[in-house]
Amino acid sequence: MHIPDGFLDTKTVIATSALSVAGVAVALRHFKAEDQPRKIPLLGLTAAFVFASQMLNFPVAGGTSGHLIGAVLTAILLGPSAAVIVITSVLVVQCFLFADGGVSALGANVFNMALVAPLVGYAIYAAMHKVYSGIRGTIVAASFASWCSAVIASVCCTGELALSGTVPWSTAFVAMTGVHALIGIGEGLITALVLAALHATRPELLRAEDESGRPGDAKTFVLYGLLVVIGLLLFVVPFASPLPDGLERVAKDLGFDYTAAKHPALPAPFGAYRFPGIAGGAASAVVSGIVGVVAVFALSVGLSFVLFPRGGKTVQQKP
Amino acid sequence: MHRLSAGAKMSGALLLIGAIITVPLRFGWFFLLAFGGLITAARVSRVPARFLVRRLLFLEPFVAGVAVLSLLREGGWIVFAGIVVRSTLSLATILLLTNTTSFSTMLEVLRKLRISPTFITILALMYRYLFVLVDEMERMQRARMSRSFTKGDRRLWRLLSTTIGELFVRSSERAERIYAAMCARGWQ
Amino acid sequence: MTPAVKVENLNFSFNAGSPVLSAVTFEVPEGECLGLIGPNGAGKSTLLLHLNGILPEKKSGRPSVFIFGEPVADEGIENIRRAVGFLFQNPDDQLFCPTVYEDVAFGPKQFGMPDSHIGEIVTDALAKVGLRGFERRSPHHLSLGEKQRVCLAGILASQPKILVLDEPTSDLDPRGKRELIHLLQSIPTTKIIASHDLELIVHLCSRTLVLDNGSIVAQGGTREILSDEQLMLAHGLEKPHILQHIHPHPRT
Repeated sequence: MHIPDGFLDTKTVIATSALSVAGVAVALRHFKAEDQPRKIPLLGLTAAFVFASQMLNFPVAGGTSGHLIGAVLTAILLGPSAAVIVITSVLVVQCFLFADGGVSALGANVFNMALVAPLVGYAIYAAMHKVYSGIRGTIVAASFASWCSAVIASVCCTGELALSGTVPWSTAFVAMTGVHALIGIGEGLITALVLAALHATRPELLRAEDESGRPGDAKTFVLYGLLVVIGLLLFVVPFASPLPDGLERVAKDLGFDYTAAKHPALPAPFGAYRFPGIAGGAASAVVSGIVGVVAVFALSVGLSFVLFPRGGKTVQQKP
Repeated sequence: MHRLSAGAKMSGALLLIGAIITVPLRFGWFFLLAFGGLITAARVSRVPARFLVRRLLFLEPFVAGVAVLSLLREGGWIVFAGIVVRSTLSLATILLLTNTTSFSTMLEVLRKLRISPTFITILALMYRYLFVLVDEMERMQRARMSRSFTKGDRRLWRLLSTTIGELFVRSSERAERIYAAMCARGWQ
Repeated sequence: MTPAVKVENLNFSFNAGSPVLSAVTFEVPEGECLGLIGPNGAGKSTLLLHLNGILPEKKSGRPSVFIFGEPVADEGIENIRRAVGFLFQNPDDQLFCPTVYEDVAFGPKQFGMPDSHIGEIVTDALAKVGLRGFERRSPHHLSLGEKQRVCLAGILASQPKILVLDEPTSDLDPRGKRELIHLLQSIPTTKIIASHDLELIVHLCSRTLVLDNGSIVAQGGTREILSDEQLMLAHGLEKPHILQHIHPHPRT
């Protein structure tokens, strides 16, 4: 999902860069406030670890292959702010050392994979884990949240591309989201398997949840939420729902031309997201989306039972 | 080209890429100029042409896929051509930059720009241990593969996740040792 | 004369587990080279990590370790770390900067040496270890012996008064070992070397401590201790071949 140079137009580059600089700044401040310098080598090494892990490809249906982003896995292991910093480091090195992902697109790539993916993913994970605790709950929450992070990141990516006038939203959305819904399954599966393996060998590495809830956290949480919401409002929401005319006029005046990007000259060739018997493209897309999400959730629950048939009571092993 | 200061090279590259993506397509002469300039820079810095061309022709499926999607737009051909020209020129710029400037000099430039020292330390450590971890991972993969006799997808997933899990454990242990070494040499 | 290192009744265990070090007491006069031997798990590395204050992580109560009379405690730990140069077992863990130059300069920079001098300091340190001209090299492409020597240069650059080495020759090939021994022989600083490599100990150390199960079971002149076959075997060690022969070897 690394966007190269030349795919985004100037206003999108500026918007995404501003959001990601702000996001990384918040993450650095939060990390410095709550974690000792002792964690700095850990973050550096984890960034190298994420990079190495991303090199492992897994097969996705139909001859394509996907790879791990690792955002939610990192967030669960080190905390959300640390994950932001780690994935940003990975993207920076990939961009400047391996020319993987454009320099002008770094803002967008960071926003999608280093901010939205870990933060939204971790929020989903934390919320689910509160309801469903224990190791099985961890597996369900982690695999589902990882899938979500991959999909949501790709949706933002599509939005940025559409906003730049590079691709038409309706066709791009179907293609990108479809592919990443499949890749996301791999992401969820690997995240769950890795956490299960760590639970068996080194349970102490799985972060204790009680670490959040300290005073500094509320402000950080609000700032993160703000940045993600602004991004979604700019890149996704206008495409997904019809804006009232007045707002659209204002947006157009500011240079955000959503109308041109929404309606391609050619009709969308992909009918895959249509549900039989339901008229109207938008409605059927929503229904397909819901069915997809429920299916993945069910898969996550199933996975947790496969991995821990007996509820996985942690057996404390003497070091 | 290698001898120019890193700061000059980096800002030059950034400005060039900025121009490449903002200059409207109708100013075709600009892109030809940029192309010519990059070729000259490549010759001067003795970056082998074959290497550059090979990297440039390696279009990721993503790039190709997205680029193709753009054809579906009104006036798609122009957009498509624009994408190809812009991304190729930008890629060439970055390739030249990375092949004439070492990563640690780039980090030095960031340090002078007063970017968060914590972040720069993390980047430096990541860069240093990148290849170490990649090597370690390849060794682990080989060791695991030579021990398993069944084929099939289930093995693959299991292999993938145990490798990743083990790699994380080793990375965090190594991080502890590095922290000790840093402290021993006066870091705080 | 204040001893360079004084350890008085040192006890240590990790997180309320079983004791790893019990009542360890010894002294190292300035200029001496002391060997530390013992079977795996005896606590050698743990003991060494107390000499520059990496352990215990929280220092409270009476200090048990004194470097040139200064207690190893939270206050003044920078001075201790400057005085005690520590060479870790795995050079990859210690060579953590992207270039050789930056790594050798790391210590001096942390200890506040002026930037204008640092270039000179690095060049001198690299010359001392026989790696002149290696400044721009990337650590990843160095051989293990070269990495080891870069680490040593990095430590020497801070001009420590005591050198502590943890298994310096593990993973080195015979030539690397020989070169390291020559190098260490040329450095007159007080040294404490923990090693399984008993030949190294015989070559470099005048006195030796034997550590087993966290306690000192013997200390004395290196040749006497290492020639005592019964003692060696009792603690998971062996009399080194170099002492098996009666006729003297020419010193290499």
